[in-house]
Order: sequence, then C-alpha cells, then structure tokens
Amino acid sequence: MKVPGLRSVARRRRHRDAWWVVSGVGFAIVLAFLVWPLCRVLAGSVLGEGGWLAFGETYGRVAAHRYYWSSVLNSLGLSAAATLGAVLLGTPLALALARYPIPGAVLVRTAANLALLSPPFIGAYSWVVLLGRNGLVTRWLEPLGWGVPTIYGYRGILLAFVVQYFPLVFLLVSGALAAVDQSMEDAALSLGSRPRQAFFGVILPVILPSLTAGALLVFMATMADFGTPMVLGEGLRTLPTLMYGEFINELGGNPTMASTLGSLLILINTAALMGQRYFAFRKAYHVVCLRPLQPRRPSRLRLALTSAAVYGVIALALVPAATILVSSFMPTRGPVMYLGLSLQSYATVLHLVPRAVANTFMLTGLAVALDVGLGVLLAYCLARRPSRTHAALDALIMLAYAIPGTVVGVGLILVYNHPPIVLTGTWVILLVSYFIRHLPYPVRACAAMLQQIDVRVEEASISLGVPPFRTFWRVTAPLMFPAIVSGATLAWITTIGELSSSILLYSGPWATTSVEIFTQVFSNHFGTASALASILIVAAAAPLFLMYRLLGQQAAMAP
Amino acid sequence: MTRVRIDGIVKRFGEAVALNDVSLELPPGELFTLLGPSGCGKTTLLRIVAGLLPQDVGSVAFDGEPVDDVPPYRRNIGVVFQSYAIFPHLTVRRNIAYGLRARRMAPERVRAKVVEAARMVQMEPLLDRMPAALSGGQQQRVVLARALVIEPRLLLMDEPLSNLDARLRVEIRTVIRRLQQALGITTLYVTHDQEEALAISDTIAVMDHGRVLQTGPPYELYRAPRNRFVAEFLGGMNVLAGRLSRLPTSGDVVLVETDFGATWSVSVNGQATGAGPVWLGIRPESLRAEPPPPGAAAGWNQVAGTVTDVGYLGAVARYQVEVAAGVSLTAEVHDPDFAALRRVGDAVRLWCDPVKVRILAPHP
Repeated sequence: MKVPGLRSVARRRRHRDAWWVVSGVGFAIVLAFLVWPLCRVLAGSVLGEGGWLAFGETYGRVAAHRYYWSSVLNSLGLSAAATLGAVLLGTPLALALARYPIPGAVLVRTAANLALLSPPFIGAYSWVVLLGRNGLVTRWLEPLGWGVPTIYGYRGILLAFVVQYFPLVFLLVSGALAAVDQSMEDAALSLGSRPRQAFFGVILPVILPSLTAGALLVFMATMADFGTPMVLGEGLRTLPTLMYGEFINELGGNPTMASTLGSLLILINTAALMGQRYFAFRKAYHVVCLRPLQPRRPSRLRLALTSAAVYGVIALALVPAATILVSSFMPTRGPVMYLGLSLQSYATVLHLVPRAVANTFMLTGLAVALDVGLGVLLAYCLARRPSRTHAALDALIMLAYAIPGTVVGVGLILVYNHPPIVLTGTWVILLVSYFIRHLPYPVRACAAMLQQIDVRVEEASISLGVPPFRTFWRVTAPLMFPAIVSGATLAWITTIGELSSSILLYSGPWATTSVEIFTQVFSNHFGTASALASILIVAAAAPLFLMYRLLGQQAAMAP
Repeated sequence: MTRVRIDGIVKRFGEAVALNDVSLELPPGELFTLLGPSGCGKTTLLRIVAGLLPQDVGSVAFDGEPVDDVPPYRRNIGVVFQSYAIFPHLTVRRNIAYGLRARRMAPERVRAKVVEAARMVQMEPLLDRMPAALSGGQQQRVVLARALVIEPRLLLMDEPLSNLDARLRVEIRTVIRRLQQALGITTLYVTHDQEEALAISDTIAVMDHGRVLQTGPPYELYRAPRNRFVAEFLGGMNVLAGRLSRLPTSGDVVLVETDFGATWSVSVNGQATGAGPVWLGIRPESLRAEPPPPGAAAGWNQVAGTVTDVGYLGAVARYQVEVAAGVSLTAEVHDPDFAALRRVGDAVRLWCDPVKVRILAPHP
C-alpha cells in the first residue's frame, strides 16, 4: 500500500538545497539598499511635509513654476536630440564597416571600445579644455580673429553627449549586423529587390531591435547624466542637476522637491524602457547566421571617401580622452594651459589630493569584489533554479540599471541618515551605492554564460560522486571564469568614474577622484583636474587590456 | 552485477504526466533499453533511476535496497549523456580521473586505473589532450571511460550516440556493447533509434506516453509485437483493418475478412483470437512479389494489385502496391535484380505465409 503524500514530502526535503540562502541574502540586500531607498524617493514625491497626500506641494509645484518644468523640458529635449544624434552617427559607421572593406576596421572597433571607457563628465570637461573660455582651441583662434561658438549651454551638452554615446550605438548595431546572414540579402536581391530596397526591407528590420536598444541606452544614460550638464550647463538646468541643487541647497535642502524631480526622472526612464521592450518584443526576429554579410567591392574613390569619413568620426570619439591625457602634461595656471611639457599637475595631485585617488581604488576594488562574489552566486540561482521568486529577484537587481545615480544617492541618504542604521558620513554608504548600482553587470554576464554551459556537465560531476555545492566550485565556477572576468571588468569601468551618487554621499576625507575632479574644475584648477582624470581613464582601461590578454578574443565586450 | 527494480513510478511536470505507473526489472548484467519516440518519458525514467530527478510516486531499488533517499552522488552510478557533458576545462586524463579523485583514491592507483580505462576505449595516446581538441566520437569515448572507471553498480546511457554521424554511431555502439559484456555491468540504455535498440540490447522496453507497452528480447518484439504502436515503431509494418470471422478451420489457422474485400488466413500460434474487429500486421519483407517464392504452399495468402512506386535502395527494393482503392501495401525484394524490377503501373501479385501475419490488438 503506497502513501503518495508522505513520500513526496520526504522527497522534497531531501532535494532542497542550500541555494535558497543565497537568494535570501540577495533579496535582503536589494530590498534594503535599492528598493527601500527608491520607495522613499517615490513616497517623498506624493507625500508632503506632513506625511499626507500632497500633490500640490510636489508635482503641482513642478507644473506651476517655470523654474521646475523648464528643467523637465530641457532634459527631455537634450536626451531626445542626443539619442537621435548618436543613432545618426553610430549606425552609418557600423554599416560602413560591415559593407566596405575598410582598412584598419579592427582598430576602429578598438577605438570605439576605448571611447566608452572615460566617464561622461570627463568628456564634458575635455570640451571645456578645448573650446571653453580659456580653451586651447579658443585661444589659438583668438589672434586670428575667429570666435568659437560657445561650448556652454544646450549645444555644448548635446555635442558632449553625442560624442560620448555614439560608440555605444555603433557597437550594438555592429553586433546585430554580424548576425545577419548574407543569404538574406542574396535572397532579397534574387527576388528582384534593388540594394536600397533590400536594406530597408530586409536588413534594417533585423537590426532594428539592437538599434532601438542602443537608442534606449543612450536616452536613459543622458537623462541620468549629472556631470555633463553640471560642467557645461552654466545655468541650464536639467532634472539631475536641479534635483541635486534642491537637495543640497545651502538655504536648507528640500528633500520633497528633490524626491519629486527624482521620481519624474524614474518615470521618464521607465516609460522609455517599457516602450522599447514592447517594441523590441514584437519586432524581434531570431536569425541564424552561418555566413555574415560580405563586404562589397566599391570603387576606389568611394572606398577612400568612406574610409576618410569613418576615420574622422572615430577620431572625434577619441578627442575627449586624448585632450585629457595631453593636457595633463601641460603647464597650467588656473584654467589656462600653455604649450610645453610638465609634470606639475601630477605633482600637485601627489601633494594635495593623494587621499582621493586611494579612496577611489579602495572603494571601487571592494565594491567590485562584492559585486562579483555575490553576483556569481546570484546568477547561479537565477539561471539554474528558475522560479517566480527568482524572476522577481532578477527584475529587482536589474532595477539598478534603470535608476539614475542621483536618485540612488538621495534615497540612500533619506533612509540611512537616522537611527537605527546611520551610514551617512561614512565610507560605507559610498560602498553600498557602488555595490548595488553595478551588481547587474556580473549577474548578467554570469547568467548569460550559464545558459551556454550544459547542465549535464554539472550532473555528470554529481553522478561521479561530487555533491552539488562542491560541483559548483570544481566545475561550474571554472567554466564561468570568462564571464566573471568580463562582469568584473565592466563593473570596475563603470564604478571607478562614478560621480552622480558620490557627490551626494561623500563626506570630508572620503571624497573620491571623481568628486575631486569636479571640485578642481569648479575652482578653475584645470591642470589638477586633467591629471586626476587621466589617472581615472588609465585605471579604467587597465583591466580591459588585462582581460583581453587573459581571455583573448573570446571576451566580447558588452556595453 | 546489480539487479534494478523500478516499481510503480509516477512523475508529473505540472499537468503533464511524464511517467504513468512504470514498473520494470533489470536483470543483473544485462543491457536493458528504453525505446520510444521523443517525449515518451524514457529520459525522465533514466534521470529518476540516476537520482537526478525526484519521482512523485514509486520506488527504485538496487539489489532489493530502495535508493529513493540516496542522493545521486552516493548511488555509485555511471551516467553517459547525450551531450557528452565532458568537462571542457580538464584534460582527458583529469576527466577520467574525476570520479576516482572524488572518492579520494591514492594518486598512483588513480593513475593506473585511468590508463587502464583509457586503453579500454582506445584513448590512451590522447590522455593529455583538452576536450576541445577531440572529435565527437573521441569525446564520447572519454565520457564512457569516465563513467566506467569508477566501477559503477549501474551504467546509465541517455541517447549516447545521437550526436554522432552514422558510421561512428555503429563503431561506438560496438565499443559500448563489447565493454558492457566484458565488465558485466547492468546497463540502462535510452534511445529512440529502433535499429540501435535491436542491435545492442538484451531486453527492450518500448515506451509511449509515459507507459511501457511491451518488454522483451529484440527478436520477440520484432516478430511478435503485441500492439500496433510497437509493431510500427520497430521496423516497417503494413497494417490492415479486418474482422476475425471464423474459428480455426484447419489446425491453428483462422480467417480474417479485410476491409478491402480479400480474406486472409492467419496462423494463430498462440495469439489472442477473440472474434471481432482486429488489425493485421505484415512486415514488408514477409510480402513476396511474383513469381511465387519457392516453398509457397497452397495455403499462402495472395493479393493482386498495381505498383504505384518503386524505391531502389541497393540491398533492397521496395514496392508500393495498391491492392484496393486507398489501400496500399509495402513489399520488399532482397538482393534485387535491377533489370527484373517492376515498373510503376505494372500489375503484380503478392504472396504471404500465414505464419508471418500478426494479429495486433488496437493501440491502448
């Protein structure tokens, strides 16, 4: 006589493993450091000072005062224009490299990757160095009687944004083009399409999901960008800068208005995200690529002109980093730089602000180590134990992608500046922000890798007598190594130049390099700023080179 | 040598029933094959025996001892997967040594056993290669050695040949059979390939929709399928609808009126013979085209028809013969003389020994 009920209960207990501990820790961390702060910001945007629903004090105020609503329009306009610009520059570049045998194509791709390394606000600062009031180009052209159009304000921010982000569109579209099979175009042409029709009818629809994904990333990143409008804005307010201003206001901060502006920021980004998802979901095609698109054989003149255009565009992407590196070795006085070679700026860094550099390395290193350590385990849970709970956890972790650093910073301060847990004023709160904001990178990289690793390999190990947890360390973790390295590298690159939450969360001795650059720029010490920025760029690039050396070409750099 | 008892296993995935009350007994030292189409539950059953999947109801016992509460890493089994599941970050040597090291065997014994196992599968010269530098067939040999070297009580093989090309499949199949017999390991073998199952097995269990339909040695399943599914899954089978009309006329021969008009005599030979509607099953190689084969007796069934298709396959030629509107039979000619083959449109008469006709119970 069988008793099915009893047996299955006993069996379930036997097969329960220890992974729930990992997902429990994951939930606790994400709820404490991301969801709760976020809820505080969102709640702050609907509750007035008294704790009651008070839209009049929040969104009503935004609608009523030009001071507020103009910043919303500025942000929307800038991001839309920057997205359009990045798409119009990045897409043709990708197409040119895919369709023409352009010499040095590998170098162009490497340059695009390099351009993405430098933190956005450093790019903005580089344009000030070149074209600002005391800029290098400005002063060279002055004696000739040529004025340079002002770099400050709307157009300057737009220029900095487009140059900063078009390589991202380029890399994503290139990836999509690499997955288009030549036979698709051949089929279109054999059916009587002209090349132009074949492109718009067959190739463009297939790459469109990647194109829109790139556009979305640019839109969200520019919406959230705090440093660029801060450096180049000169009175032009955007959502993040105004939010910062409201929160830090010397006449006593206004957390309610900061929360409202932050919530608007989240709302806009979430809407963009949903829109792109909805679109990409309906229009995504699965393509099998056996033979990628073959380069055409254009006329010599055409190839030469296209190549020149490609080199010109990619050179533009490298201008900011090159400017910073070169200017860091120039003698300076205040914001004015002179021709010549000098280590004066680096001497100043060593003398005045060595602490900031040390802080950056310590905090970034610690945050990345924690991201990777937890990320690997969480990725395993999410990929190998699919369930509704884990899908929810995955979504919560990914939330960090969509939430601007300024909002995370304000949220963390609102939650952790009073008992029972006080973290404000310590380095821990910086670490928390870095850790939670960049956790998605190792999680995504490792989860994607796990999809490629056959579960049977783990089962083989278990059947040979190695229990599950030891199997994880002996088989799964070594196989995940490339993903661990690339996840860590991405987290490192994005953490090391983080400004938007650092500037809110740092205190006294815990200023980071990015904060220090910001301070130096505003106190007109351009030499020191350039030297610090160069240190950041090199420190961001170093692990990338290390990764390529370590893993060779298999390490595909995901944006 | 382990005797395996599988008793009343039920497994559901949500609403779908993957295994519906399956009971089997694997005799010690035998190669026992689960044969069925994809989705029939054969791999699920293998994974339950391995302990990689918990069953909902039922029990698995090795040598009379239930192993339901023994985790897979303590069952002492060797598993060979369809996708090889070779450890790509370890050399061939360390792949084979993996299970032995997990058992904390002394290094020098590990070394000796690894070499011995590699020799069995003819992989000794490649011991220090990485898996990426091996062909599919070589990888399969490595995982076979890896599973055998731990001297498992039971060897489980889940479609081990399906990722190999046709020639290699026969080669590795021979290796597997030779080693299994030499070592006398009880083996549970899963495949959807009927030819592979017939060639390799001591016993075959044919499965469909989570149930075992028939269990027996290969020749018995082929010659005496108990129902239409087994008959059609193992080799080709002409199936005719008919009505068992009369009781034995002479000796054990009964008459069946087929739906298209002809009356067939069938040698009962211990088959179930309730009067009423039945399916008749005739293997294509049991249908002979004119002239009547030597030894054809007066009692043989005959049916006239028209050739609608001729397939020449070298060793065999295959005719499609329409014997009535909408009723077509397949007949095979072995070692065909190409010049003497019939053409499409030719009239032909088919002959069949009543002993070779099966009465098939309807599919359950």
